[in-house]
Amino acid sequence: MKMKGLLGVFEYLDDLVKALEVMREKNYEIKAVYSPVRSRQIIQALGLKPSPVRYFTLIGAISGIALGFGLAVYTALQWKFIVSGKPPVPRVPYVIVAFEFCILFGVLWNLASLWLNSRLPKLRLPEHYDPRFSGNRFGVVVTCTPSAQEQVVAILNESGAEEVHEAGE
Amino acid sequence: MQGFSYSEIDDKVLGTLAAPGKVYYVCLAFCFTGVLIGASCWGYQIATGLGAAGVMHPVNWGTYLVNFVFWVGIAHSGTLISAILYLFKAPWRTPLARSAEAMTVFAVSTAGLFPLIHLGRVWIVYWILPYPNQRNLWPNFQSPLVFDVIAISTYLIVSFLFWYTGLVPDLAIVRDRARGIRRRIYGWLSLGWTGSDRQWNHHGSAYLLFAALATPLVISVHSVVSWDFALGIAPGWHSTIFAPYFVAGAIHSGLAMVITLLIPLRRILGLEEILTMKIFDNVAKTIVFTGLIMGYSYLTEFFISWYSGNIAERAIFEWRATGHYALLFWMMVMCNSLAPLVFFLKWARTHIAPLLTISVLINLGMWYERYIIILSSPGHEFDPYSWGLFIGPTWVEYGIMLGSFSLFFFLFLLFAKFLPSVSMSELKEELPPPMRGQSV
Repeated sequence: MKMKGLLGVFEYLDDLVKALEVMREKNYEIKAVYSPVRSRQIIQALGLKPSPVRYFTLIGAISGIALGFGLAVYTALQWKFIVSGKPPVPRVPYVIVAFEFCILFGVLWNLASLWLNSRLPKLRLPEHYDPRFSGNRFGVVVTCTPSAQEQVVAILNESGAEEVHEAGE
Repeated sequence: MQGFSYSEIDDKVLGTLAAPGKVYYVCLAFCFTGVLIGASCWGYQIATGLGAAGVMHPVNWGTYLVNFVFWVGIAHSGTLISAILYLFKAPWRTPLARSAEAMTVFAVSTAGLFPLIHLGRVWIVYWILPYPNQRNLWPNFQSPLVFDVIAISTYLIVSFLFWYTGLVPDLAIVRDRARGIRRRIYGWLSLGWTGSDRQWNHHGSAYLLFAALATPLVISVHSVVSWDFALGIAPGWHSTIFAPYFVAGAIHSGLAMVITLLIPLRRILGLEEILTMKIFDNVAKTIVFTGLIMGYSYLTEFFISWYSGNIAERAIFEWRATGHYALLFWMMVMCNSLAPLVFFLKWARTHIAPLLTISVLINLGMWYERYIIILSSPGHEFDPYSWGLFIGPTWVEYGIMLGSFSLFFFLFLLFAKFLPSVSMSELKEELPPPMRGQSV
């Protein structure tokens, strides 16, 4: 069935949260919620899980340690110079190399996973995007069947939406 | 930030991006001229050889290394303010963080030029990088100089990405208010950020992890810089105190530079209501703390040299305090340890003139500190036969130093006019969100 998208624009956060709770209760699909700031209330109302970015960062950091140590050991073994009777692979100074690589790769994976999970970069903004969402307004995009459109509009209006528009399919 | 609305914050900060006045262009032209002078001096040095600088046996590390350590130090407080204070949730961090992060990126970029300038043949700089080559020749990963290459490169990349990641939501605000080509440019820079629930959720986690990773990095970077000296056996350098001493010094100079930059900035950009005196009060209190650490470190160095019974150690510290560099040494003590004590007075922490004067003195003192550490030890090693003085700075070194300061201020001026110098999205986060329940 063809689905319709509806955009509600809110001035107040508590109104938006109320709308989100009702929408979730009635099993409407909330496609996106826009906010000028990071909001704990919105994340809680949507029941979002913690971001998987941390796992990517951990993998990056561990791979950085392995790469740092690996590179230092590999290069030392190319020549096997013995200085003052010490082993050609000194572990202590390589901790510094491994540490810096750990941070570097942790950060690179962190950023890559942020972009990947947030679907960035985007060449075009969504058609329904309103520039006020980065300023001082909140927005929610809900998809529903044409028959449920009236009910969704009513919920958004009753929750305190300033405006309700169609937001494409 | 109480008393502001979301729109007022946007208006206030976006107002700083309006067309600049004549004074701005004059400052920009002045700095650009300095950059050209520095570049010409470097060009002259490349053409004639490293002899154009005053580096000669026994003092082979001249002002280039002094400036390198100075700029790395300046870079430190940016990450301290933005990462460490973020983890501690210090509320006075937010208005400062963006400018401090920008300062970090520009200072590390400036610092990174000095090892290149100090190379005789800069066009083969890639030899210090670990890349596969025909003869399997690799850099020595036991060398503190290679640690330095890795640490500084990592710090530059991480600082830049941390700064940029925080900027993205603000760039979207600028995009949404801009028109024409500006809208398109800020659109590209903001990567299509919309502020959706998914984006904020991931951004929050990623930013926190950035801060968590940047915090140990900031400690490690200046420790690594200190090991350039401490892993050598020269008296006055070979000391276990060097890493914490350098980290504290870096934060000390960086905080002073934050004050030096932001006092004129808030005036020029009209940000007095956001960059309040309360914030400078807190920065000044932190400077008192780092200043006390500096004083303690200076005393400890002298005590250890006396207590160790090592003749060469005692000699170098006596020479620093009474010999050729004595004037600079006592200037250093006065600027770094005594002048910040004035900040014990609340009056000094909350008035522009003493804040600016003391912060400039600290910057000067920290430059002297690096000058004394780097130039005195190799000139006064174990054997009196090999003692000597630094014969510079030559006019080439002065020109390059002028160029480095000009480059730093030039980049900062461009930043202040083209990017939001205060984080709008983070300032908004500190406000209570708009609630119908609280509206009149």
